[in-house]
Amino acid sequence: MTKSDVLIVGSGAAGAAAAWSLSRNGLKVTCLEQGRWIEKSEYSHGQSDYELARQSEFHKDPNVRRWPEDYPINVSGTPIRPLMMNAVGGSTVHWSGHFPRMRPSDFRVRTLDGIADDWPLTYWDLEPFYELNDSMIGVSGLAGDPGNPPRGVRQTPPLGFDVACEAYFRGLDKLGWHWWPSDNALISEVFGHDRSACNGCGPCDIGCPTASMSSAHVTYWPMAMGNGVDLITHARVEEVTVDENGSARGVVFRDEAGVRREHTARVVIVAANGIGTPRLLLNSVSSQFPKGLANHSGLVGTHLMFHPVGFVTGVFDEPLDAQRGPLGGLMNCQEFYETDLSRGFVRGFELQLSRSVGPLTTANGGLSGVPVAWGAGHHRALGKIYRHAITITVMGEDLPEEINRVTIDPQLTDADGTPAPLVRYRLGANSKKMMPFAIARAQELCEAAGAVEVLVDPLVQDSGWHLMGTCRMGNDPERSVVNQWGCSHECRNLFVIDGSVFTTSGAVNPTSTIQAIALRCADWVSQNFQDLYA
Amino acid sequence: MSERLFNAEQLALLTKVQSQLIPAENDMPAAGSVGCASIVHEFLREHEELYELVLRALDAIEKSTGDASFIQLTSEEQIEILRFVEKSAPEAFAELVRQTYNAYYTRPEIQAKLGIHGPPQPDGFEFPSFDVSRLDRVKARGKLWRDA
Ligand SMILES: Cc1cc2nc3c(=O)[nH]c(=O)nc-3n(C[C@H](O)[C@H](O)[C@H](O)COP(=O)(O)OP(=O)(O)OC[C@H]3O[C@@H](n4cnc5c(N)ncnc54)[C@H](O)[C@@H]3O)c2cc1C
Repeated sequence: MTKSDVLIVGSGAAGAAAAWSLSRNGLKVTCLEQGRWIEKSEYSHGQSDYELARQSEFHKDPNVRRWPEDYPINVSGTPIRPLMMNAVGGSTVHWSGHFPRMRPSDFRVRTLDGIADDWPLTYWDLEPFYELNDSMIGVSGLAGDPGNPPRGVRQTPPLGFDVACEAYFRGLDKLGWHWWPSDNALISEVFGHDRSACNGCGPCDIGCPTASMSSAHVTYWPMAMGNGVDLITHARVEEVTVDENGSARGVVFRDEAGVRREHTARVVIVAANGIGTPRLLLNSVSSQFPKGLANHSGLVGTHLMFHPVGFVTGVFDEPLDAQRGPLGGLMNCQEFYETDLSRGFVRGFELQLSRSVGPLTTANGGLSGVPVAWGAGHHRALGKIYRHAITITVMGEDLPEEINRVTIDPQLTDADGTPAPLVRYRLGANSKKMMPFAIARAQELCEAAGAVEVLVDPLVQDSGWHLMGTCRMGNDPERSVVNQWGCSHECRNLFVIDGSVFTTSGAVNPTSTIQAIALRCADWVSQNFQDLYA
Repeated sequence: MSERLFNAEQLALLTKVQSQLIPAENDMPAAGSVGCASIVHEFLREHEELYELVLRALDAIEKSTGDASFIQLTSEEQIEILRFVEKSAPEAFAELVRQTYNAYYTRPEIQAKLGIHGPPQPDGFEFPSFDVSRLDRVKARGKLWRDA
């Protein structure tokens, strides 16, 4: 049994940021990560069959990828599949790095729109941590967006735009809509150590061999380990244990050899993501916490939010070659972000320019959800789309609902026999009204940009990239799991700092907010450390 | 692994089927003529569940031809059989199509015909830097976010 000041479960976006922050304040930090380091040599971007990685070793769905370190997820009750990577760096190993911030109104949904709940903190509480995070990891973009509060000069300039993007900019200008080059956790110039500027190779979603993506394993982890953090890989945590007073005592985990071990700590931080965190807490049953740790309210696992996503792809006569260049959101249109009740729904959505994919992914239906037809005319059909299409990702705010939830599956387990999660989710009434409106706006944009055909996947099944809400933050212990510092209402040395704590989802990718929250919570733990375990 | 190998007849059938899935047209060769069957074959040796699915599709195709062999049918008859199996064994057939596309579009000679001259790395692609004046219209609209 080993003892640390702080034990973190999960080395992803949140765990990495917290490990760095706590360790620079002199705390002895250990992080247990079920996955392993991904070696640069594992990336396939230098091979002609690189697109196959999307279907196999770098598949974003752990149920398909099935690495030994992945845990299965019962997804029979959800139209949207939860996606993630279980490795050092977590899901930032193969993300797209689109890095917008939430807006001030996102934290005040109850006050402004009379629905859901307000967060127990404001945008302005988080703002210094957004800035700190950007400065630590490196963000490309351009300050001055009138659609968002002011922010500091971005670490590197916006990524380059080409003829493919120009088509949409023309369309946006014609419609008079807002747009701005997105903040991206992807460096356009050299920044940090051992990282190159993005050379626009394209398939960011199967990893970044140049380390241009500001992923947790190439940003925070080298710094955190330099500060002395002990990162233990192949360590799958089964349970958070408690002492006789109901305080977190540590964890029980399986090491690489499958041996069960205990690791104790003064403070335990769970950063296993919006599915892994409720799974772990619900599996941590004790006489003091018979419904699972920190689950007196019964809310652990509830209020799961994903962001409903549609893909709207414009097909153009001229070749755009949008398969070249970073895959993520290069440009963000937030014309429809804030509530306008005349649209028939509350809250809003954004339209992200997401470029395109290579011929194989195109043939297999990567853009429209429907594979290119086989047989006579196949080449013509592929040639019409490949090099000629560019996709808009339509992402709506998902409202929190108690019935959308992660529970423990009665049968399914991981390779070690630890019970696996069961996800039940259905699209809410507001999303059902919002998404058709949002898709129609994206179609309008494609047409204004000059598209000759528009392909629509109205609800992308493989789009559970954003895992939020399952240990929600709030002031009221009956209506939330943790407080504004990520501290459990029931267990004062237990913290949750990942996307689980989101009270509402906003309509933007969550990771800049997840990391800002992680840094803010870690700061608070450092400052109050002595009081947390006395 | 030997039980997961296609025999010569199955390979010949796969080759013929693939050339119907991706036929020769314009300047593009048929899938069966560029070695896609052996690529799929090699791949499936390591992927048992997918092997079973593709095998099921091939069996369904063979069984649908009555006394005749698929290879001996006319092209129109072959297409008719494939359309039938696509409906009667959709999951297995979809896997057969996917494996064929996977093999075809990862062939460097096919990629060259599509204008791809090498994988994305190490060269990547160059982009012009962003012209900030493009944003003048948006800036002129002033603040667009809600105070809270
Ligand atoms: C394909 C894809 C694209 C994405 N693109 C974007 C994007 O463009 N912009 C954006 O903002 N976000 C994006 N995301 C989401 C982003 O990756 C996540 O929001 C972010 O990584 C969440 O951080 P986290 O620390 O909460 O969880 P994760 O990064 O998922 O890390 C959790 C870690 O905990 C570990 N873990 C879980 N359970 C245990 C256990 N019991 N024991 C030990 N270790 C455990 C896991 O192995 C994992 O490494 C994308 C995600 C995916 C999958």
